[in-house]
Amino acid sequence: MSAENYILFTIAGTSYALPSQDVAHVEMVEQITRVPNAPAFVDGVVFSRGQVVPAINMRARFGFERAPLDVSSRLLVVQSRGRSVGLLVDACREFMTVPESAVHPPGEALSGLSAQYVEGVASVGDRLIVLLGLERLLGSTEHAVAAGA
Amino acid sequence: MVKVALAPLAMETVEAASGLEAIERLAVAPINLMVLDLNMPDMHGLEVLGFVRANQKFHNIPIIVLTTRDDAASRDAAAQAGATRYLTKPFKPEALLTEARQVLDAPVPGAR
Amino acid sequence: MSDQLDSFLDDYFAEAEEHLAVIRRALLILEQSIGRPRPDAANLEELFRSFHSLKGIAGMVDHRETETLAHELESYLRAIREGDTAINTAGMDALIKGAGTLEASIAARRANAPAVDTAAIAAELRGFAAATPSDARADAPVAIAANCSCIFTPSPALIARGINVDVVRARLREIGEIISAAPMITSQGAVAFQFAVRGTLTDEQAAAWRNDGMAFSAIAPGSAIGPTASEDSGAAAGAILSSGHYVRVDLARLDELMRMIGNLVILRSRLNDTVERSERHLPAAHYRAMQDDAEAIERELRELREGVMRVRLVPVGEIFRRMPFMVRDLARETGRSVNVVMSGHDTKIDKFLVERMMDPVLHIVRNAVSHGVESPEERQASGKPLAATLRLGASASGETVVIEIADDGRGIDAERVAARARLVGLPVPSGPLDNATLLELISAPGFSTRDKSDRVSGRGFGMNVVRETLQELGGRMQLETERGHGTRFIIELPLTLAITAAMLARVGDQVFAIPQASVREVAEIEAASIRALQGSEIVEFRGAPLPVVRLSSALGCRETPLDRFHAFVVGSGAAAVGILVDRIVGHREIVVRATSDPLIRVDAVTGATDLGDGRAVLILDVAAIARQARDRGARRGLAVVKDIA
Repeated sequence: MSAENYILFTIAGTSYALPSQDVAHVEMVEQITRVPNAPAFVDGVVFSRGQVVPAINMRARFGFERAPLDVSSRLLVVQSRGRSVGLLVDACREFMTVPESAVHPPGEALSGLSAQYVEGVASVGDRLIVLLGLERLLGSTEHAVAAGA
Repeated sequence: MVKVALAPLAMETVEAASGLEAIERLAVAPINLMVLDLNMPDMHGLEVLGFVRANQKFHNIPIIVLTTRDDAASRDAAAQAGATRYLTKPFKPEALLTEARQVLDAPVPGAR
Repeated sequence: MSDQLDSFLDDYFAEAEEHLAVIRRALLILEQSIGRPRPDAANLEELFRSFHSLKGIAGMVDHRETETLAHELESYLRAIREGDTAINTAGMDALIKGAGTLEASIAARRANAPAVDTAAIAAELRGFAAATPSDARADAPVAIAANCSCIFTPSPALIARGINVDVVRARLREIGEIISAAPMITSQGAVAFQFAVRGTLTDEQAAAWRNDGMAFSAIAPGSAIGPTASEDSGAAAGAILSSGHYVRVDLARLDELMRMIGNLVILRSRLNDTVERSERHLPAAHYRAMQDDAEAIERELRELREGVMRVRLVPVGEIFRRMPFMVRDLARETGRSVNVVMSGHDTKIDKFLVERMMDPVLHIVRNAVSHGVESPEERQASGKPLAATLRLGASASGETVVIEIADDGRGIDAERVAARARLVGLPVPSGPLDNATLLELISAPGFSTRDKSDRVSGRGFGMNVVRETLQELGGRMQLETERGHGTRFIIELPLTLAITAAMLARVGDQVFAIPQASVREVAEIEAASIRALQGSEIVEFRGAPLPVVRLSSALGCRETPLDRFHAFVVGSGAAAVGILVDRIVGHREIVVRATSDPLIRVDAVTGATDLGDGRAVLILDVAAIARQARDRGARRGLAVVKDIA
């Protein structure tokens, strides 16, 4: 494939993207029910299409300060290996087709917690978009749960 | 045929091709006169007559029966069943008209 | 309400399109047989059934022009089928024109355009069929030949619409044989006509004709007529004949009723509380009377709820109904030969499940025919019968319904699945793949992608949708496949949604649900009476020490300073523990949803529920919470002292 479709979203001012085929749907968030003893970056659960879905606060996940929910906050319900997980982001508005040629490996430019989940960086026009790897994003969290249980 | 014959009466004539239809007509709209052919595909005219007369609502509607038979027994049977008048086919249109006029102008027949 | 009508119409258009597709194809085949002594019987049958079905659904949405035209087409087809007429060019032209007009009529309705004139072609078709006597054979695929009585009550309104006793007679003749016809007087003193008919009548037909003053009732059950595919003995004969006493209800209404019942349950429990509290103010007799009434209300409510839920149950066969047509089309397209065998289609499930499972089952069946079934030559070469068999079965056991879709085709090629999975970047374990892994791979999002638009929409595709749907419904799926022998999908669905009685309690600013079954007793505890004992807390309860656990600390919720707590007593004897909450705020039946994701798998939580406002309320495992607290105490090396001063 020479190009792939992505859904773009922002977390603390940076644009990230996930392959659109991984995203089941995007919702507005009303209320997240706190789950006691869950990992710190899991804000809680929500109901999505009749299913209970955990909501990961992506700001917290990437080590940023939490921000209050506002009208642009969105929950990206993603799917991976039979799991449905919600990612709480600041905003999510765009689709984008990114040609393979525009994608570069992460390199040392990126630091912080997010670095471990990055598949690559795409330069589209004058924008830099961080492409996330869902497996790693959700996979790592499993380990985190085991440690915190 | 009947329609043409009764045209001078200036009444709305509704035709029914079968006994059930005839009863249906009676049931759904006010009828002042019924001309009933005894020879019908689904029900014998006398049966229709019997059903109609059994119903309080239709007790008094003048009914002229048409038939091919002209013997006394048939006439009697018709009368017993509740026919007001009896006419044999083929009939002259004027004859039907006369009968019709008579039954329509006549005072309400006594209860059967 | 117009939304309901819209979706109803959408169903009509969708189904009409299916039938029209069949009709188009079948007409082509029919055309080729002009001049031959006897046209292809199966094709005629299919054409006939399609017109018949179209007539039925058009009647249901009151699309009169379509209904009438479909009726004429059906009658003509019947005549041809009976051999009363041979199809000639003129007749063929009429049929093609008729089908085209049918299509135009439906399209017009869909576009809200002025209705197409169908009268002319309808009359023409009537002419072609007119020479033939009306037939007395049963026709509808899923109805039953039986003796039934039809009472037609004429009225001026019906006459104005063109419906008189003759029309009724004609209709009855087309569905069977009129054994007797007689006028009668109804109990209201009106004139009506009673017909005894031996014929075949579909539910839809009876419902449609009911609007025309025709009321049907069964006289005696008869023998079953099979559907287009052969049927196993799972089908129940008799008693499906419509009695004209059915009402169509839309699901939204039922949901509304369930909501109201839910409210009633809450009100009843509030009433109960008040009654309890009034005990000391009432003369004993009055109090007992109120208690009895409250209990009676509870019983009635339970029955009411069960009754409404039963209304939602429909036969699983609804899902299977379309399969034979689709399979036939698809098989023809791909040059395969497939027999469809259905069983257990009377098994009942919730209508909501039927609606959601329609597409997934369709998808699996489509896959089976397009990919699973080999060509007749291949089959012959491997010693299999030329025609493949596709089995659709449903059965209920306990709280689950099992739907099976099996074929005797070539089975799933694990190598190809693995290759495809690697190609799209899915992790593939090494070594031979077992059935569970195969299922996992083919259901993974991205495994089957068709084109960009689907990916852009972020939608999973193919088997992934099937899995998603099952998750949503609380069902699951298993795969059994063997190279060269065939494939079997086994789908389990909950018969009804898991519902349990629960008590609701507030702790801090959150509400939790505690399953009633785990609660032995409920009590009120004064804050002052709680004694600290080396890190644990105890109260005296019924003369014995009862360890208590504050839910707020167990769950890390905000602690509210209160004088008085409510407590759930769980466990018994030495293991009894009191779980303290701020307040018990209610008691109701809840639908349990699983919380299975590892991120939120916490001992204290066994699920979540929606109390009606879309917010998730956690269902607590109070036994686990009690155990945790006890272990914490034990870890601190303390024993609970039995006697307190």
